[in-house]
Amino acid sequence: MIEHAKPKGHSHSHSHSHGHSHSHARLETFGGPLLPSINLGPIRNLDSRRALLGLAALWLLSGLFIVGADQQAVVTRFGAVVEPRVMPGIHYALPWPIDSVTKLKVRQLQRRIIGGDAPDTVLGRLQPLASQFLTGDQNILHLRVVTQYSVAMPADYLFRSADVAQLTGAAVESELARRIAQRTVDSVLTTEKAAIQEEVRAGAQKVLNDYSAGVQLASVNIESASPPPEAADAFRDVASARADSVRIVNESQGYANDVIPKARGEAQQMLEAAQAYKLRKVNEAEGDASRFTQVAAEYGRAADVNGRRLYAETMEQILPRIRKLIVDSRGNLDLTIIRKGDEPKAKP
Amino acid sequence: MIPERYQKYVPAAGMVLALLLLWQTFYAVRETEFVLITQFGKPMYTVTDAGLHAKWFFQSSTFFDRRLRVYNPRPSEFLTRDKKNLVIESYVAWRIDDPKRFVETVGDPVAAEMRLHDIVWSGLSAALGTHDLEAIISPNPQQVKAGQMLDQLAALTGRSALAEYGIRVVDVRIKRINLPEQNKQSVYARMRAERERIARQYRAEGEEQALSIRADADRQRDEIVSVAYKEAEKTKGEGDAEATRVYSQAYSKNPRFYKLLRTLESYKKIFDDKTTAILSSDSELLKVLMRGESAQ
Repeated sequence: MIEHAKPKGHSHSHSHSHGHSHSHARLETFGGPLLPSINLGPIRNLDSRRALLGLAALWLLSGLFIVGADQQAVVTRFGAVVEPRVMPGIHYALPWPIDSVTKLKVRQLQRRIIGGDAPDTVLGRLQPLASQFLTGDQNILHLRVVTQYSVAMPADYLFRSADVAQLTGAAVESELARRIAQRTVDSVLTTEKAAIQEEVRAGAQKVLNDYSAGVQLASVNIESASPPPEAADAFRDVASARADSVRIVNESQGYANDVIPKARGEAQQMLEAAQAYKLRKVNEAEGDASRFTQVAAEYGRAADVNGRRLYAETMEQILPRIRKLIVDSRGNLDLTIIRKGDEPKAKP
Repeated sequence: MIPERYQKYVPAAGMVLALLLLWQTFYAVRETEFVLITQFGKPMYTVTDAGLHAKWFFQSSTFFDRRLRVYNPRPSEFLTRDKKNLVIESYVAWRIDDPKRFVETVGDPVAAEMRLHDIVWSGLSAALGTHDLEAIISPNPQQVKAGQMLDQLAALTGRSALAEYGIRVVDVRIKRINLPEQNKQSVYARMRAERERIARQYRAEGEEQALSIRADADRQRDEIVSVAYKEAEKTKGEGDAEATRVYSQAYSKNPRFYKLLRTLESYKKIFDDKTTAILSSDSELLKVLMRGESAQ
């Protein structure tokens, strides 16, 4: 490993400048507290040497580090990045004060809220100025947007910007303001919410990449978009107007769905009735005709007698039902009896 | 030279001195920093590479944060070319680019932000003053030139800031566009009026659609029923015609008998129990009653 070789040479050059005999002392001053040990004579003692070697070994071993499964690490040597991205596992870096390891939880999503703070949301409060956005058709809307991000480039994330959260928030907010300013209030409130979210995310990601912020925007989510309280009832009325409109259209469709099948039924009924009528008429006619023809044939044989019989039969049927006044053709008729007589039995 | 009794301290003292010298010679530059090396207060050179560096022990080092910072100027009101007021909240992404120049002119970030405020304010004011409101906010994205405007602004601001103060302005962006507080009441009133218009429109359109659906349904009903009526009458007519034909064919064989039969049939229907018949004794039926067989 290259990391091993370089700083070792470095430490050698240090010890050379001091002289061989004091190399242990150097270790002691670097490894332990910065108290120069003035009396070096006893170091010649074998036990002390062993102790020092042990300390040196411990010092070298202290460069081992573990990067957790959800982490990535950056290794810097005297401030300069030597390993911009160390993946999970066990690794070695040169011990303090040469190398320094910074571990980051790269997968952990961090939240940033635009348009009011989390406590405000809990309390249902609206921060008017913090949440107001102006739409393209010059309507004021209250928006609350939550953006989530994670670390994309650990070294950039750590070293390129002073306050990543603030920078991310600012980039998202500016993209949001721009997209809202290009849309109508209706599209923001209804159809284009998802499109705005995606545009803002992509746009802000591009901006953050330009800044080398080392941030990956996971999501930009418009949690709430509402009209200002001063005009909220008018907005609600539009919603109910839309519902009303749908309702009356549905009602009229219901009417159509009721009327037309009924009309079809009625039509069918008329056609059937007409067919029945036709059939009945023709059959009746044929029956009557047949009967007439047969009777007429018999009648023709003795027209006078049959005529008289038919006449008498008919009279027998009619006369019992009706009131009858029989007047002598030779006498005068007193019409007052018609008015007086309630019963049809009256006789002159 | 050195008294005998102090001789034993010489190696230790030498080491302390050497350490001090080392401490003064070597310095680490972190990724987040620039280092300005000054010699007796006079800036000499800037170190921009991170890592271990060496200088003369008599020189001193000053560290500057080179990271990107965000500066949020106070929201301010600007006038567009068509004399509309807008409250613009912007942010400036900037960093120190030339520590030597920076330390000579502004010295610290707070002072730098004050300068930036002035530069950005005048830049924004000039940029907005040359654009109509529609170029900044409009439902028609083609009209909006805000992005372009800001790019120009960032470039312009950046150039002057770099030359003057050793600051690189990476970006200037509008974070929020709003209307002045005193205009808001009229905006709310306009929004309400607009909503009321839209609500009326929705209702009227619904009414229109509903009426047309109903009218269409009624038309269809009438059409269906009248077509059926036409068909039905045609069918009945056929029946009647056929019946008439059958009757006339039969009756015309013996018209006299038909006449008698039909007349008698009619009598049955004409006379009911409310009828009063005045019968002459001369009548065919009663002749016999009145005069006996001789009447025949």
